[in-house]
Amino acid sequence: MAYPAPSSRKRWTLFWLLVVITIIVNLPIILMVMNSFQTTEQLVQRTTILPRDLTVANYRYLNERTHFWTFLWNSFTVSGVSTITSAAVAALAGYALSRFRGRLITGYSRALFVVQMFPIILALIPLFMLFRTLGLINSPLSVIILYTVVHLPFATWMARAFFDTIPRELEDAALVDGCSRFGAFVRIVLPLSGPGLAAIGIFSFLFSYNEFFVANVFLRDQDAMTLPVGITMFMQQYSTDWGSLMAAATVTVIPTFILFLGIQKWITYGAVSGGVKG
Amino acid sequence: MSVRPMLADDTTTWRASAREWLRSGNSLPFLLLAPSIFLMLAVIAYPMLTGFYYGFTSGSLLKFGKFVGFDNYIRLLQSTDFLHALWFSFIFAAFNVIGCFALGLGLALLLNQEVPFRGFFRVALLLPWIVPSIVSIVSWRWMMADQHALFNQIIGLFGGSPVYFLSDEHWAIAAVIAIKIWRSFPFMMLSLLAALQGIDRSLYEAAALDGASRWNQFRYVTMPQLRNISIVLCLLMTIWTVNDFDTPWLLTQGGPANATENLVLLAYRYTFGRNDVGLGSAVSFVTLAILMVLVVILLRRQRER
Repeated sequence: MAYPAPSSRKRWTLFWLLVVITIIVNLPIILMVMNSFQTTEQLVQRTTILPRDLTVANYRYLNERTHFWTFLWNSFTVSGVSTITSAAVAALAGYALSRFRGRLITGYSRALFVVQMFPIILALIPLFMLFRTLGLINSPLSVIILYTVVHLPFATWMARAFFDTIPRELEDAALVDGCSRFGAFVRIVLPLSGPGLAAIGIFSFLFSYNEFFVANVFLRDQDAMTLPVGITMFMQQYSTDWGSLMAAATVTVIPTFILFLGIQKWITYGAVSGGVKG
Repeated sequence: MSVRPMLADDTTTWRASAREWLRSGNSLPFLLLAPSIFLMLAVIAYPMLTGFYYGFTSGSLLKFGKFVGFDNYIRLLQSTDFLHALWFSFIFAAFNVIGCFALGLGLALLLNQEVPFRGFFRVALLLPWIVPSIVSIVSWRWMMADQHALFNQIIGLFGGSPVYFLSDEHWAIAAVIAIKIWRSFPFMMLSLLAALQGIDRSLYEAAALDGASRWNQFRYVTMPQLRNISIVLCLLMTIWTVNDFDTPWLLTQGGPANATENLVLLAYRYTFGRNDVGLGSAVSFVTLAILMVLVVILLRRQRER
């Protein structure tokens, strides 16, 4: 719509408008970080919006008196393992979707689309009973299995989209040289799609790290909980201890921000190819 | 077990042809898909069928119940909890879709202009979407928790009396919807911005040559070009909102007095709170049925394109 080119005054008006909008939109996050440096008493008594007398008391409390590091460790294990499993499975399936046609492929692609819309609670009820008999409740394995499958649709589509950008001629050349089809995939296509697979991995990691519902159903023991579930324990136990809650939330969000910066240039790609194209 | 004794010859030819099929290129797509198909069958299809059966039983989490036919579904239709959850799911989805589409489109149009540091704004405005649900709800709750919380201090500055956002039914519904809009508009913004950038510029040039005003350019060029993607995005967002557990659960746990309880929360409460697996499964199946109608519309839309 930028036609004809707008004057510089108009551009800077828009710029300041966007600055204000961005601050308002992110106010909950900004306030959370600021509040984490205030004790709960200071928070309750405070009458100004900006904090005074910053303190790290909340962080010290988090470190010394709570299971916070256990939660963080659990989150990293669960997210790390499910990222690897789903990326591996999705890379194979994505290659099939990218290079082959047929009834099986169409049917599978449609099934993926439907699974993405599936109310996960439906699978959780029977799986809860099954996992209990298998002794998997409170085991990271339960959540890892679920995350691997939940990530499959979007990871497969993203993988397929990356493979589509790699010219077939490269594989054809390898086939002529006597390489098998699968060999061509492993030796030619996979090494070329490193950045793409990394992006898929980061997306999966972010989703698992942020996920609450599934973890909340399967991880009921303090030692097994991931961060999102662990923080709800804080919320119930110390319902008014806003200081430590804000500190816990702030530390939780740091890995999210770092990973997000790593994939921000892929993000339109991921959102559009995963959600919309189907 | 086969009826007639198997001849050694039979098995070897069977094995040989299987081996040949595996070696030939034809088996590759199947082998590539095999791990994902196995996972989907084990973790989605099998539980779904079992869950469908549970919907017709009176079981608890601890022991399998007996078959009771349509009892659970009949109980649901008579329960005010269920009708309320159905209504709230609808309200929640409708207001969220309208809200986050309007906000997303507005911001996408702004970001589609030539603005200094546009890339920075595009990233900064995505933060509400990527922050874990628990983190955003903690800070929103702090802002609206009680009569001394930030929002009430601001209302007090203007001389208003405090609002009990989380303990008043209507305000709690409004709060859940507002926070859901805040969490989902970035997806709309991002996708609509990508669509806006895909519109052929020569269309605007032609419209400008014909003397169309900025508003008419928007009305007759931008809107029709965005129509298809908008319908798909709104359907997707509806499905995701119906499926949302985190926002209402973490903010209000469905309260006060079940006011903000949607179908997913109800299924969760019946199953894990009241230990009634039959009723919980029945609620999840109703949710699935509603969503499948939306999915079919969505698939048909996409085939048209």
